[in-house]
Amino acid sequence: MERDHALTPKRSSDARGVALASAMTERTESRTPLIATLERAETGRTRPGGLFECIAEGRVFEPVIHDEVATDEAVVEVDGFDLWYGDTQALHDISLSVPKGKVTALIGPSGCGKSTLLRSVNRMNDLIDSVRIDGQIRLSGDSIYGRGVDVIELRKRIGMVFQKPNPFPMSIYENVVYSLRIDGVRDRFTLDEACESSLRGAGLWDEVKDRLQNSALALSGGQQQRLCIARAIAAEPEVLLLDEPCSALDPIATGKIEDLIDDLEGLYSVLIVTHNMQQASRVSDNTAFMYLGRLVEYGPTESLFLSPRLKETEDYVTGRFG
Amino acid sequence: MVWLTGGSLGLCLVMIFGLLALVAHHGGRTFWPRPIRLVEDLQGNVLLGEVTESDSFAPDEGLLASLPEEHATALRAEIAAGDGEVGRRLLRTENFELTGVHYHWIDDPFVAEERTPEWALVVERRDKGRFYGFPTGFLVEGRRLAETPPAIWEKLREHEGAVLERFDRALQLEEIDLGRANRAMNDARLELREVELDEGIDSAAWRAQKVEHDRRVEGVQAEFERITGEIGRLRAVNANYQLELETVEGQQTLVGVADVVRAVPVNQLGLHDKLSVYLDRWWEFLTEDPRHANSEGGVWPAIFGTVVMTLLMTVVVVPFGVLAALYLREYAKQGALVSLVRIAVNNLAGVPSIVFGVFGFGFFCQILGVGIDELLFSATLPNPTYGKGGLMWASLTLALLTLPVVIVATEEALSAVPNSMREGSYACGATKWQTIRRIVLPRAQPGIMTGMILAVARGAGEVAPLMLVGAAKWAPSLAVDLAQFPYVFPERSFMHLGFHIYDVGFQSQNSEAARPLVYTTTLLLIGIVVVLNLVAVWIRARMRRRLHGAR
Ligand SMILES: Nc1ncnc2c1ncn2[C@@H]1O[C@H](COP(=O)(O)OP(=O)(O)O)[C@@H](O)[C@H]1O
Ligand SMILES: [Mg+2]
Repeated sequence: MERDHALTPKRSSDARGVALASAMTERTESRTPLIATLERAETGRTRPGGLFECIAEGRVFEPVIHDEVATDEAVVEVDGFDLWYGDTQALHDISLSVPKGKVTALIGPSGCGKSTLLRSVNRMNDLIDSVRIDGQIRLSGDSIYGRGVDVIELRKRIGMVFQKPNPFPMSIYENVVYSLRIDGVRDRFTLDEACESSLRGAGLWDEVKDRLQNSALALSGGQQQRLCIARAIAAEPEVLLLDEPCSALDPIATGKIEDLIDDLEGLYSVLIVTHNMQQASRVSDNTAFMYLGRLVEYGPTESLFLSPRLKETEDYVTGRFG
Repeated sequence: MVWLTGGSLGLCLVMIFGLLALVAHHGGRTFWPRPIRLVEDLQGNVLLGEVTESDSFAPDEGLLASLPEEHATALRAEIAAGDGEVGRRLLRTENFELTGVHYHWIDDPFVAEERTPEWALVVERRDKGRFYGFPTGFLVEGRRLAETPPAIWEKLREHEGAVLERFDRALQLEEIDLGRANRAMNDARLELREVELDEGIDSAAWRAQKVEHDRRVEGVQAEFERITGEIGRLRAVNANYQLELETVEGQQTLVGVADVVRAVPVNQLGLHDKLSVYLDRWWEFLTEDPRHANSEGGVWPAIFGTVVMTLLMTVVVVPFGVLAALYLREYAKQGALVSLVRIAVNNLAGVPSIVFGVFGFGFFCQILGVGIDELLFSATLPNPTYGKGGLMWASLTLALLTLPVVIVATEEALSAVPNSMREGSYACGATKWQTIRRIVLPRAQPGIMTGMILAVARGAGEVAPLMLVGAAKWAPSLAVDLAQFPYVFPERSFMHLGFHIYDVGFQSQNSEAARPLVYTTTLLLIGIVVVLNLVAVWIRARMRRRLHGAR
């Protein structure tokens, strides 16, 4: 599937999408038409200006959650979640639900806690000694941070792909079936099947099917990242967490990964962190905007990009800030 | 700066290659058959031997005065014309049991005549060292069958095969069959002693065992006599074949053909024959036991001891070092205590090796070994089994010595494994141990191999601690003996090339004669260390290739 690398909100009318897209790609030269387009979306604003200062000063405010996202069936529910690295609080009272079978994007300026939130979902933050949390996260209704939760079992239900491709120093085949291997699966047939279906799922099968026994480290960056996706989906997880999966890749590899995320939609529930607005708008159904460890606005991607309720969100998605 | 750094590197290279070249030069020519020279001096003394060294010296007046008048004047003129020095050569003359010396210096001005007689022989004898001289007869049962050198040579060639066969057969009987009989006798005695220790000497069990013991001893005794009889017969037959030799001074001596390891008429040999003698000597050096107080023969037990001890050490030190490093790097909470441990480990690498030797002696031999003896080998006491130096204790001591090297290298390798790999594994639902075993260790393997290579290099070259924990100057029974149950004997003392060099070079009664062997043994030790390292490097390269997928 060919796609242009422009801001194309999903299921938006083509004409409008293209207009918006060209406006955003050349935003330095011609900002006026974009602002003119967005002017129409000013209706829902609750607090004109001053919100960022409000957050920075630590005053309490209600994040704006669009009604559409509340109705979907949730696979991950974050409920009043706080997180501290030592004495500094990185997440403040986050509440959001990730709908099942859809792609949800987390956006926000760097350092706002997107990765931290993502890593809280599969408890990767447990590896850091100084982390302390409060609040709840549920996966398909099961509490993640409840007492007696087996972290290992939990992580097997969640796939994660990191910013930098991190294939293991072993063959392509062994990389893909890694999660089955650590579960003690020995049966050749099961492994072969899982390997093929995961690689097909990650759109990598045709490129590597003749060299499955070669080292994964010999693949290109984009291939490595798709291999990591294949590795993550081999365990048939309930949620797939992607932490800026394209930030280390070139545009062509990025396009392939974005296509892949599109294909994964419906099969998997995806939570993706990105600081690339175009990518968020292209691949996601819902988008959550975070700022300084707080959730600011959360809603369907289209309305968040085209008619944000908060001026701050608008400023961020149009690139005037962040 | 370029000059300074490049110069330093150059100096290092020159020193290393200089050392290697020196050792290779001296070590490589030891076995080359050199012409046997007959030298007659002005006083009419004659010497026969091969030149092993030559240099020059400034003669003093006394020396010049002792020369005949016309010689002295000629020499004075020569000295005045040259740089004031005259040449001299070291002649290896041997025949030690007759002359009491191995070497003679001959000053070139004193030489009246010099030639290389056709039938000058160098005879390498089994236990009296070399003999330089001429063959004068071949005797069978006291009868002189040949008189002229070619005829004697003919006879020697004719009979030496059969003699050697009998000799080998006798040796085999002595070492294997007699050994087996000895052990059977010993076992019977030990079993009786065990019953005595367990039940007491008045018990019925002891009396029953005593009857059994006597029956077995009787059987063994008969076997014993049969074997010694056979050996005696073979030796007696061999004693009938003798070679009559004459020194250059005209002294005659008889050498049993069985005692001749090799007789070489060097002066008749062409390049091809010399080469075959050279290779034959090397082969003997590599595969035979030492003879004549280590100054002749081979070093096979030392090669074996060095290699086995190094391998055993590696097998012990690598798992231990890796486990310790894993704990330090992966499990322990990084903090002051871990840093302290790390510093301590690093300092351990700087402790003089003899200290480890003392520790190994005190802990392994005296505490562990004595404990094991009391528990398992009480019957043989007071003869120690494990309560003395031995191959196993030496390996453990060296393992301890090289442990810091492995720990430090492994830690480095572990910390070089990117955290993203570990995270990726955890995210797949792997436990800590699964992550370490499947991701971290394979990835760190080349680095761990580097540690192993360093450990091998250090361990194989270490001598000082070994002297305390089991290296012996003479230990022909190897730690692995396929003819004898249980086939491996880690408690046996062993020979080691490094210690052998020390022993031959400094401890033997004629270190002058042994000096060429010192070089050759050194060459061999360097070669073995290099080979061990190359093997490890090769394995590491293969691992790297597999890891990075370039086939
Ligand atoms: N391991 C850590 N220890 C301490 N502070 C951290 C750690 N990781 C992240 N932080 C802090 O938490 C905040 C959020 O970081 P992160 O979630 O990585 O942001 P993002 O992914 O949105 O760029 C940042 O201020 C960062 O400095
Ligand atoms: Mg991040």
